[in-house]
Amino acid sequence: MSEMTYIGKSVPKVDAREKVTGQVIYAAEVHLPNMLYGKIVRCWEHSHARVTHLDLSEAAKVPGVVKVLGPGDVTRKLYNTGVLDLMVPEDMGKHLLGDIEDQRIFTDHVRHQGDAICGIIAESEEIAEQAARKVIALYEPLPVYLTAAESSQPGAFQFDERKPGNMAFQLPEQMFPNNAYGWGDVDAEMATADLIIEDTFYVPKVKQCQLEPHAYVAFYDQSGRLNCWTSTQMPKCVHNKLARLFELPISRVNLVSTTIGGGFGGRLGMVFEPETCAMAMAVPGHPVKVQSAREEDWVASESRHPGKYRLKMGFKNDGTPVAADAHFTSDAGAYFSHSSGVPFTAGSWLTGMYKYNAVRYKGDCYYTNQAPSGAFRGYGNPQTNFVLEQIVDQACLKLNIDPVEWRKRWHKQVGDDGWCIGFPYSSCSLDECLDRGAEAIGWKEKRARYATQSGTKRRGIGVSVMNHTSGAMPMLLEHTTCTVKMNEDASAVITIACSDLGQGSHTVLKQIAAETLGMPMEEIHLLVNMDAAGFDIGSHASRTTYVGGGAVLKACEDVKRQLIGRASTRLGIPVEELEIRDRHVVSKNKPRRPEGAIEDAADHLRNNVWGVGASMSIKEICNVGVYHFVNPMNGEANGIPGQIQGYASYFPSHNSPPFGACFAEVEVDIETGQVQVLELVMAHDIGRAINPKAVAGQLVGGSHQALGMALTEEIHYNAKGLCLTNSFTDYKMFGPLDMPKVTTILVENPDPVAPYGLKSVGEAGPVNPVGATANAISNALGIMFTEAPITPEKILLAIAAQGLA
Amino acid sequence: MKNRLITLSVNGRNYRLNVEVNRTLLQALRDDLKLVDVKYGCGSGECGGCSVLVEGRECINSCLTLAVEMEGRNITTIGGMMRKGELHPIQQAFIDEGAIQCGFCTPGMVMKTASILAKNPCPSEDEIRRGLEGNICRCTGYENIVRAVQTASRVMHESDIQAAGGARP
Amino acid sequence: MTSRLLAPFDLLTPQSVSEGVQMLAQYQSQVAILNGGTALWNHHRKLKHQPPYILTLSALKELDYIDYIPGEGLRIGAKAKICDLIENPVVAARFPALYEAAYWFGNPQIRFMATAMGNILRASPSADCSCAILALGGQVVLQSQSGQRIVDIDDFWLSYDVTARRCDELATEIRIPETGSTTCSSFQRLTRVRQDLAKINVAVRLEMSQGVCRQARIAMGCVGPTTKRLTGVEQLLVGNPVTDELLQQLATAVKSEITPIDDQRSTAAYRTQVSGVILRRVIERALSANMNCDSRERS
Repeated sequence: MSEMTYIGKSVPKVDAREKVTGQVIYAAEVHLPNMLYGKIVRCWEHSHARVTHLDLSEAAKVPGVVKVLGPGDVTRKLYNTGVLDLMVPEDMGKHLLGDIEDQRIFTDHVRHQGDAICGIIAESEEIAEQAARKVIALYEPLPVYLTAAESSQPGAFQFDERKPGNMAFQLPEQMFPNNAYGWGDVDAEMATADLIIEDTFYVPKVKQCQLEPHAYVAFYDQSGRLNCWTSTQMPKCVHNKLARLFELPISRVNLVSTTIGGGFGGRLGMVFEPETCAMAMAVPGHPVKVQSAREEDWVASESRHPGKYRLKMGFKNDGTPVAADAHFTSDAGAYFSHSSGVPFTAGSWLTGMYKYNAVRYKGDCYYTNQAPSGAFRGYGNPQTNFVLEQIVDQACLKLNIDPVEWRKRWHKQVGDDGWCIGFPYSSCSLDECLDRGAEAIGWKEKRARYATQSGTKRRGIGVSVMNHTSGAMPMLLEHTTCTVKMNEDASAVITIACSDLGQGSHTVLKQIAAETLGMPMEEIHLLVNMDAAGFDIGSHASRTTYVGGGAVLKACEDVKRQLIGRASTRLGIPVEELEIRDRHVVSKNKPRRPEGAIEDAADHLRNNVWGVGASMSIKEICNVGVYHFVNPMNGEANGIPGQIQGYASYFPSHNSPPFGACFAEVEVDIETGQVQVLELVMAHDIGRAINPKAVAGQLVGGSHQALGMALTEEIHYNAKGLCLTNSFTDYKMFGPLDMPKVTTILVENPDPVAPYGLKSVGEAGPVNPVGATANAISNALGIMFTEAPITPEKILLAIAAQGLA
Repeated sequence: MKNRLITLSVNGRNYRLNVEVNRTLLQALRDDLKLVDVKYGCGSGECGGCSVLVEGRECINSCLTLAVEMEGRNITTIGGMMRKGELHPIQQAFIDEGAIQCGFCTPGMVMKTASILAKNPCPSEDEIRRGLEGNICRCTGYENIVRAVQTASRVMHESDIQAAGGARP
Repeated sequence: MTSRLLAPFDLLTPQSVSEGVQMLAQYQSQVAILNGGTALWNHHRKLKHQPPYILTLSALKELDYIDYIPGEGLRIGAKAKICDLIENPVVAARFPALYEAAYWFGNPQIRFMATAMGNILRASPSADCSCAILALGGQVVLQSQSGQRIVDIDDFWLSYDVTARRCDELATEIRIPETGSTTCSSFQRLTRVRQDLAKINVAVRLEMSQGVCRQARIAMGCVGPTTKRLTGVEQLLVGNPVTDELLQQLATAVKSEITPIDDQRSTAAYRTQVSGVILRRVIERALSANMNCDSRERS
């Protein structure tokens, strides 16, 4: 690969210094004059109930309380916190996918513990809390449903009359006959199989657990603008949604993107912006700050989709995967949110993985009385990985085929349909990922060594592969607008609405700009401002580097075109013969002007040397574009007027899916069931790593979430639907001593259609370590685990029931 | 008593404030002194987002500490780590090793690192990982944070040697 | 309701133990005692009504000690922190069960703030120090205006969340009896992840001579409403050489002595099944850690 100045360099993140000196502003740090404090009052006693009586009078009397707001005191307009509805055409979303808006700011029908019933605005947080304690709410309990199986029973309480049988979503018949996605005749192909493996799996409700709690400031100012400080991942979408919710033109809403302290999909849409803004609208002229407690996170914001995932696969004796038949029924939680997203996408990672002769995937979800399932990094992929990769390994075991070899033989290749049928893979380096990963972990040697073991500690080694996407086209809207303004001194300002969740997207966007423009990163400013920036669909679907970067690239190329065009006119050289080098527009053929030659407009004027020479500095072009003087003596102009500004309203033409292979080695204590993950090797088909260190950081960080889902994390509820694990005391994530040794391998074979050949990595980490860890445990014990997290409790039960291999 | 006039010594400066006795050190730092580099992450002593350094050596969770009980103690937050406008070696190491993603755990992690190295200038990887417990990171998987501690340890050790006249022990 | 704040209270700061017990006599059940603070505020957040008075031990420097009196044992003041237990060489050398419980306790911040006394007063059946101290044996010294009362650790936890401390008493010291060259002890626990509350814990203190167990104290946590002495298992052990067969017997016997429940950390079935495993392992570790205790009779 060609050596570049910025692309491929692990430059320090552009926000690192701010963050490491404590200077960075998260939403909770925003402090404004005349600020008041809002408390969202939630129902903690019930997971399903009608509010039969709400009395805010005592709360209102507490000194220092400014306003108390019940459901009728704020807009009753319904909304959807998820922003999928902005990503598909309205008729498709509403009529085809059945997207609905079913959330209210304050409700009188509590559908999950933590549902908001009213709000208090006061002079201090203490007073707001005091007043909240004086709210009198009486409830009529309603039946509680904690699984799709429960809520889909005939006669069950109907959550929403638009969704009979409490089915929030299934693949629409009009797009997918028989509500199924896939190709071929699954039943006919399955009948030809020599071996069929089938099982039903359970995937848990896990939480993003970003470190920054949800905090917002909203301000309906005296110029009639609603300002909202939020760390949403999707600023432009939320900008749009708030404008619609509060019936304001977008230009009267100012969404200020504060630094995001982690998102992972938990901020893929609105969280508590509606409540905060409603409070602000109730006290015009006063900013209102809402800071939620950590305990609210698990019960009042969105999680991964849990549920039952059945997979049946048919194989020939030579390993050919003749058919795959899958059905993922997930628990939607209490509101629609991403009901039409994850249930579909989970299947597309499955269909995109292997060359099945036929495949059929059904995805649906049902309301339950828990916090809504929404978006979480991977978006259905970790769930599919847990299921698909284990079924494949079972087949390999029975057919005596090496799991790495099977995957090399049967994974999809360039030209095969990717996750979206009809859209083929543009590149695929999965073989190299598998080969290099296998070597790094010592696959062959360890598989042989672990084939026969005794003693209380058993080791195992497993593999898993994945595919993902770089941006969600063609399924969802993919659009980023970018302007690149050249200041008169040739420094640049990129204005864009892309957010940085901490993954380093602002850094890589600057790297792309610097490389394309051929200028130092230090002279480029990235402005993220919703008033100034055009559209961007937000940080999701691993799109910011690919699509955001594509937009930056295109806008920078527009800048270059303008620079070259100006120089062409000035130098009298055709554009085809000009290029940009060392911050000059130079002739490809003629040499540059010597050092020390005339540079600026004033000198030109003095020395009357227009049109001489074969190069112009970028600085000169930018300068005279702004400071366009006309010589009063002779009426001659000094250049081509007009400030240089590049623009791109960019719709990518592809989604360059990345692939990845993960290898895991575990040790299981068969007396206690405890699992220690010894090592992970993650080999990722990155195309080209814009910032290798940041890419590796995404893989390792993501693996932390995968290991949690595989082994320790789950939100637990009691029989009443009340959460038992809404604290770090009981929602257990891997700590520094639990994490294994992680080796990352970046396989770089540039994608032919991608900007700089890059592919995404943002959502890869939480995916294949799930399947790899499960497969490693299975290799160690000879037992496949169909329920995640695979806890010691489940391991001992299984050993007792099935015995060890 | 319900209020007390106290002096808090933070980052080498003394601050006089009148606080209610139920005010946590976290609130006093953030809301009263506007030292917002210390974070509320969970309020229950689990995540370490609020951790500050005491007497240059030990970390405490400021969310579980009463402000009035910190009279006379020297507190350091991440905002007090720079020396004469220069980044502390720990801060530089965090940048260089890619140990910062969203940055929310960073203030606590940097102070925890300072504590680890104050008590044990050349820790093993295991000692580092054990030392980092009580500070949760959801972004990095801890890997690069461990590298940052190792790098800081090396740099600080080398500069200690230099400061001692270059003689190696 | 969730809160990011502490409920209002009046703070009492006694300058001496006698002033402290005077205040306790005055306010009784209206006052909660603040020591390390790592458990108190989280506990209060769950209460419907928080106590109006908090009595802090912060000025009672006289309670911050760990003294070893040869022939008598360990004296741990109420303000002695978990990290002090780890750093004290006598604790590691002579009371390894307590050292190990302290070592695995919490995380660095918690170890620097929390106290052993606070841990046992919390009366949680999962408390690690409680488990080690119950196995090592000892007493809790309680001071009140009527004088000093000493409660044996075996009688200290009355039921879930309830100790023998009366609300007008200040717990000032934990006493742990001397250990000799033939005493061995160890502590073990199982958790979901490394830094965690125990889902089951166990500690033993054995007096051995020539491979035969002369005395045994075995404590197990998370298997009943309070940390529990496994007296039945102890009786099987005492007077017998510690053989693999005996250890198997103990592993089976323990299951009928415990009454674990299902909770968000683990299940009754799991706790029952592993109780024997960790009991066996903790005994093996105690024996092998002390040369004088190592059983020669084991096949």
